[in-house]
Amino acid sequence: MTTANIPILEVQKLTKYFGGLAAVKDVSFEVRAGQIFGFIGPNGAGKTTLFSMIAGAVRPSAGKIRSRGVEITGVSPFRLVKAGIARTHQIVRPFREMTVLENVQVAAHFGRKPVRSPSAAKERAMQVLVSVGLDALADNPASILSVGNQKRLEIARALATTPDLLLCDEICGGLTHSETAAMLQLLRRIRDGGMTVMYVEHDVKAITAVCDRILVLNYGRKLAEGTPDHIQNDPAVIEAYLGTKAAGRS
Amino acid sequence: MSATSATLPARRMAGWAMTALPWILLAILAILPLLVPSPNFTRLLFMTFLWTTTSIAWNLLGGFAGQVSFGFAVFYGAGAYTTALLMNAGVNPLFAFLAAGLTAALVSLIVGLPAFRLRGPYFAIATIGISEAVRVVMTNLSFTGGASGYRILEHRPFRQLEHYYTALLLAAIAFAISWKIAHSKFGLGLKAIRQDEDAAADLGVNPYTYKLAAHALAAALTGMAGGVFARYAAFIHPGGVFGFHTSVHILLMPVIGGIGTVWGPVLGGFVFGIVEEEIVASFPEIHLLLYGLLLIVIILFEPGGILGGLRKLVRRFRDHR
Repeated sequence: MTTANIPILEVQKLTKYFGGLAAVKDVSFEVRAGQIFGFIGPNGAGKTTLFSMIAGAVRPSAGKIRSRGVEITGVSPFRLVKAGIARTHQIVRPFREMTVLENVQVAAHFGRKPVRSPSAAKERAMQVLVSVGLDALADNPASILSVGNQKRLEIARALATTPDLLLCDEICGGLTHSETAAMLQLLRRIRDGGMTVMYVEHDVKAITAVCDRILVLNYGRKLAEGTPDHIQNDPAVIEAYLGTKAAGRS
Repeated sequence: MSATSATLPARRMAGWAMTALPWILLAILAILPLLVPSPNFTRLLFMTFLWTTTSIAWNLLGGFAGQVSFGFAVFYGAGAYTTALLMNAGVNPLFAFLAAGLTAALVSLIVGLPAFRLRGPYFAIATIGISEAVRVVMTNLSFTGGASGYRILEHRPFRQLEHYYTALLLAAIAFAISWKIAHSKFGLGLKAIRQDEDAAADLGVNPYTYKLAAHALAAALTGMAGGVFARYAAFIHPGGVFGFHTSVHILLMPVIGGIGTVWGPVLGGFVFGIVEEEIVASFPEIHLLLYGLLLIVIILFEPGGILGGLRKLVRRFRDHR
């Protein structure tokens, strides 16, 4: 088996209990390099918990996560960055007292290919800002950015750590239609640049528009997995979203 | 367009001034005791340099990394006692100071390894507890004289200027370290931790080791200041160097001057160093109360300290022009 065949992310029987409640139960899937892989599911389906476990923010109760064959279950976030996995936050968390450029500079300094000199880190940060279209705002304080631009900044910071796998948490939440379209276009560009993207979103339309493969969660369990077309025509998925009657009618 | 081209030389001049300022200040302070040969004045400046050193040190952890510690007396005291014990054993003062810094840094690891598992106010409370525990232990430790203190016997003539220049050099080193950190990768990492520790970790910063490193560096400088003080005072006791008021003083200066900046702690150190003795002499019973009030006023009205206030004034002046 060549390295190309080893999945960039391999999740096996991942489970998380909060008290007696299983937020995620026995979920397994694989993400192949070069894909945009999405999660969807109704409210409370366990998307965020599953995402947080992969991002190292929540420790799983059981199960394994591997990246390129190396186990990364329960590894702390700063070590995941060194392993080439970076995340964005659903609720944006910019360093508010820093400029936009400095925010990204932190990531360039401490990412997978750490840069020591501030001028080199600034240079790399600026390249990333150009690629996400925030270069004009580089010297502004991060706190004055619009929501859409703050979400872009989240992506810019994650990209500046030079990951192989980018974990995006609801990057289109709260955005207008045109902003969403632009954001999805950015995701496609990131994928076409050779990066793998894992994407969680509440908005089914956004997910189906951009993803190569989708995992559907319901009550913490895997309900279905496949291409957007496959998922949209799966009776179990339709039932979960619209109820039994609708499923019967279709 | 014309506005930017007009301000560019002005900005460059300001940049030059900021680079030259530390050197000018250092030169003035180096010749000042020769121009004003008053032992009392020299002593006042000597203490001011030590306070400024601890102020700069505290700011590395409390200002840059945002970890508010009420326990810096532990390092000041550890440095003072290390110097005292070594000097009485016949060690050269310079080596005793370096050993004081090293000891304080080691102590900071013992404190930090458990305490940095805690965040925000919980960390601050832990440092109070540790600091008080250390003071009580030192009060009851017999080989250092316990509560009655410890005397340093130096078999050399007392030369005040030697002490003065040692303290000035230490403060200059502390400033250089602080300036270097503020413009480095290390400093940016610390600032990221202060603003959002989890977000910093998600970008590859290891908050735990970074906090430990800043703590150790701050402790080393504070310990050396304690050592230089011990040699000058020739007598130290736990209620002084390990006292809670020492921790409060060290925290107060950067807050007065402007937390998280390079010049703020220097400004705070000088203001405090010069007025401190007056305040203690005029209000011996309530001087800590006055500091408490001052702290509240600053945090309520100008969290940026003197430097923050000055910057606001300059900006207002510029906008009105």
